[in-house]
Amino acid sequence: MIDLQLIEECRGGNFNNFRKLVELTSPFAYSVAFRMLGNEDQAKDVVQETMVTIWQKLKKIKTAEVYKTWIYRIVVNKCYDEMRKRKRNPESVADEQTWGLISNRISEGPSPALENDETARIISILTERLSTKQKAVFVLSDLEGMSNDEISEITGISKSAVKANLYHARKSISEKVEKYL
Amino acid sequence: MKPESEKYNEVLNLLRKSKPVLDSTDDIEREVIKRISKVNSSGLRLSGVLDFLFSWVYIGWVRRTLIAASAALVLIFIYQQAIILKRIDAISRQTVVTDKENLFTHSDEIAKLLMVYRNSGKRFPSKTITISESQMNELLESVKELQIKYKDLENLIEGDPELKKLVHKKLIENNNNNLNL
Repeated sequence: MIDLQLIEECRGGNFNNFRKLVELTSPFAYSVAFRMLGNEDQAKDVVQETMVTIWQKLKKIKTAEVYKTWIYRIVVNKCYDEMRKRKRNPESVADEQTWGLISNRISEGPSPALENDETARIISILTERLSTKQKAVFVLSDLEGMSNDEISEITGISKSAVKANLYHARKSISEKVEKYL
Repeated sequence: MKPESEKYNEVLNLLRKSKPVLDSTDDIEREVIKRISKVNSSGLRLSGVLDFLFSWVYIGWVRRTLIAASAALVLIFIYQQAIILKRIDAISRQTVVTDKENLFTHSDEIAKLLMVYRNSGKRFPSKTITISESQMNELLESVKELQIKYKDLENLIEGDPELKKLVHKKLIENNNNNLNL
């Protein structure tokens, strides 16, 4: 549990407490980064950069409640940067294999969770045509289960824009799923 | 079209169930601490250089001496400014006598000139005639006398309308004669 006391202790420059903060923060930061980027290494880089930013700007945090939103905001912004970089060097996704994988997993019924690399491939193929904002809204809403208010606060876009982006993201993914599955 | 189809929901459930797993936070912790230490040490290095260059200002007697020196400099500056202003004021009070200047236009000005003459140590620019104090007093006396006589004459003319008319006529004749010339 992240509380204000832990944040206060980290502000004092205590590395041991900061280790604890990294341990508590990394999993959910990684989850968002991984789902947005669909790449393990890049997601880990984003988490690392996020934690460094947190260390540098920890003084800005006044309450523990805003901490999680703040972290998400940093992660999403770092992912935007990473996606912008990636636009210059797009990766090719093996479409057929991935659709086959999705089809198999669904037809298997209640099966164990996917491996990280499988999840990465599926997310990549589903969201490859989405804009960065649409991707962020889709991940935060449909995969991380956040409300529109929270997404609006994290991404800095209005609630109506969140709804519109979510609609287009769902529509695009749904069309792909209908076409290939 | 409703974006969320059954297949879409199945894919989404598959992804929700497969929350990305961060195998170990140790690597991230280690990397983050390493980067933070690097940032901190570069900051320390910079502060070390600054300390080396300017740490002498923290020595007590140096500080006190610098404060005293700066106060002395400020006082000297104020004193110098006062002297300069005094000199400028003295210079502005001195009258520069030129050939074209009409010296005696008004009785107040005569008094002023006399004062300047006395204050200036009886010195005049090289191109002017030097006169003694008694001569100057004589001149001033005669000017005063002339002014009194002029005032009397004015009163006399004002008191006699016939005389006034005659003087007026004579003045016009004189003016006309001057114009004809």
